[in-house]
Amino acid sequence: MAKLIPRIGSRKNERISSRKNARRIPKGVIHVQASFNNTIVTVTDVRGRVVSWSSAGTCGFKGTRRGTPFAAQTAVGNAIRTVVDQGMQRAEVMIKGPGLGRDAALRAIRRSGILLSFVRDVTPMPHNGCRPPKKRRV
Amino acid sequence: MANPRRVKMVAKQIQRELSDMLLTDKVLQYAVLPEAALGADRYLSSLTTISGVEVSADLQNTIWLGVVKMVSVFGDERGREVAIAGLKAKAKYVRSELGRHMKLRLTPEIRFIEDESLERGSRVIAILDRIKNEKEAAARRDGEQ
Repeated sequence: MAKLIPRIGSRKNERISSRKNARRIPKGVIHVQASFNNTIVTVTDVRGRVVSWSSAGTCGFKGTRRGTPFAAQTAVGNAIRTVVDQGMQRAEVMIKGPGLGRDAALRAIRRSGILLSFVRDVTPMPHNGCRPPKKRRV
Repeated sequence: MANPRRVKMVAKQIQRELSDMLLTDKVLQYAVLPEAALGADRYLSSLTTISGVEVSADLQNTIWLGVVKMVSVFGDERGREVAIAGLKAKAKYVRSELGRHMKLRLTPEIRFIEDESLERGSRVIAILDRIKNEKEAAARRDGEQ
């Protein structure tokens, strides 16, 4: 028989904190994943816990229009609106992927009045790991 | 004359290849962002994106065979100039890399052009937002009075 491991986070011991996410976060991180067909924006705190997210698809765009820069900027506006009310002033931006959403999202964040502390590119780069998908033939 | 649908597909594929090259290729990154050579650990001062690609209608032997790339750069004025100058300097290198990655009968000549449309659109939207805020503030003041 395996040893009984005490379960972390069992509800008997802990109180469920922050039921409605009323915490105030003055500084956060905005992750922008910009692929060719869509842009996903996630706002988290400094540790990485997600506060809110939005994407071009959830903003009502469908199909080829999700990949456009305008869709990216609507998605950013949507995601930031909830967070600005919670009092976020400074943010770091992490950009992942190629795609038109990169530029448009950055401009939208800059326009919204949130102070940009850093802009980083975190596109995953293998040190020659998995085999990439086959080449497209045009 | 090549099929216009095929021309569009080739343009899209070239855009994908170029965007990937901007992300992965070390030579291009140093051309666009010289601080990367110092190992700035990906803290960017400017961000370059390929916003569009146009291909001339003939994909075969013609007098002018070219691809025009619109490049949009986000960053301060100096960063923008450095990025565009670096890309223009590496046009031949980009052409040879494209020929290696893609299987085309003839690899077209490449020209980079700065794309201001995103910047202009952003400025217009900022002005519109400011006007809206001013109107709301004025309406609130009138309401209080």
